[in-house]
Amino acid sequence: MRASQWIWLPAVVISASAHATTYFTVEQAQRAIFPGATLTATAQPNAWRTSNGGYFIVTRVIGKHEYITLAVGINPNGTVKQIEIMQYIESYGYEVREAQWRAQFVGKSASSPLELNNDITNISGATLSSRHVTEGVKRVLQQVASLKGKQ
Amino acid sequence: MRRARPLLGTYVEIEAAGLAAPALERAVDAAFGAIARVHRLMSFHDGDSDVSRLNRYAASAPVTIDGWTAKVLKKARMLFDATDGLFDCAVGHELMRSGRLPSQGLSHVESGRFSAVELLSDNRVRFSAPIAIDLGGIAKGFAVDRAIAMLRAHGVREAVVNAGGDMRVIGNKARTIHIRCQGREGRVVQAGLLRNAAIATSDAAATVIKQGGRLASPSSHHAYSVVAPTCLLADALTKVLVQTQDAHAGYFARFGAIAFVTSADIAEDRVA
Repeated sequence: MRASQWIWLPAVVISASAHATTYFTVEQAQRAIFPGATLTATAQPNAWRTSNGGYFIVTRVIGKHEYITLAVGINPNGTVKQIEIMQYIESYGYEVREAQWRAQFVGKSASSPLELNNDITNISGATLSSRHVTEGVKRVLQQVASLKGKQ
Repeated sequence: MRRARPLLGTYVEIEAAGLAAPALERAVDAAFGAIARVHRLMSFHDGDSDVSRLNRYAASAPVTIDGWTAKVLKKARMLFDATDGLFDCAVGHELMRSGRLPSQGLSHVESGRFSAVELLSDNRVRFSAPIAIDLGGIAKGFAVDRAIAMLRAHGVREAVVNAGGDMRVIGNKARTIHIRCQGREGRVVQAGLLRNAAIATSDAAATVIKQGGRLASPSSHHAYSVVAPTCLLADALTKVLVQTQDAHAGYFARFGAIAFVTSADIAEDRVA
């Protein structure tokens, strides 16, 4: 490997509170999981039905420090077709308590929501567990079973 | 285009550019497919995976596995030999005993070394001792490499694949890399720029210490990173760095790798 492939920078501590990435809107996720299909809203606000009996469900998963919006596509036979992360937000509460950090947000109110720093990408670190996502998908499967029961 | 899916027990993000949207979508889909395949073959938790079948039966009779799993086992053996046994995937017994992996159907397993893994012809494998392997220290890196290969096969020349912190970058664009330090949650340290290479980071809590290794104080909050030509090498070599804390050991240079340790305490000083 050539040395130029890895360029050292002085160690800089990023002071932002969170990083957030939006991968999909609801419509984009619907097209990605069920291309060309027609989706119809159901009585439940986060659930859509496809013409051939599949389901598209949007669910929120809250971990210790992460908030994840998931799109789950369910096949007509009730199995999981595809899971896409629509939005990933990672945040840490304790930094909010630091006065120096909080000062950046003086003058911001509920009507001017905090802007999350989107520049922090490519984080290398001890692996984050996606256990909460697995639990979220289990809840979605139960929701689909109950939606099918109401047909 | 950026996409993320839950795979390998973590979040896998793929960013790709340089092609029209439909072609990129096909490429990214295929790359996620490659990662899902590694997940199916090498999960300790899935009873039908190659790893589970090996752990249950290979001590009694040869088990035929997929070519990808055989490739990972070959690399694991090469790294076991090159690091005097510090990189050792025969950690199933230790991880089950501490409750970090399920032990169902594996009551015969004893503690042992990776040298008990015998690679036979035609992707058959036999264990010469009742060990259990876990590829958690190498399969994620391999999965990232397979995803990059799949993107390249689809004509993608600019991409980042990040599997929960094990990542590989291709293309001319240098990417800023941040290191997460455990124990200082929310602290990420900007460490450098990466181009056409891979990086992985590990910590003491994520590593099983084998014979000859030692562990830094758990309170030190150090992050152990390795930059290497492939993500498999980066992933595996972090497990060695955690145990030796010696970033200058000869095997890093031998594999074209650079090792470094990030201290969260330094990061803390800079903030104050």
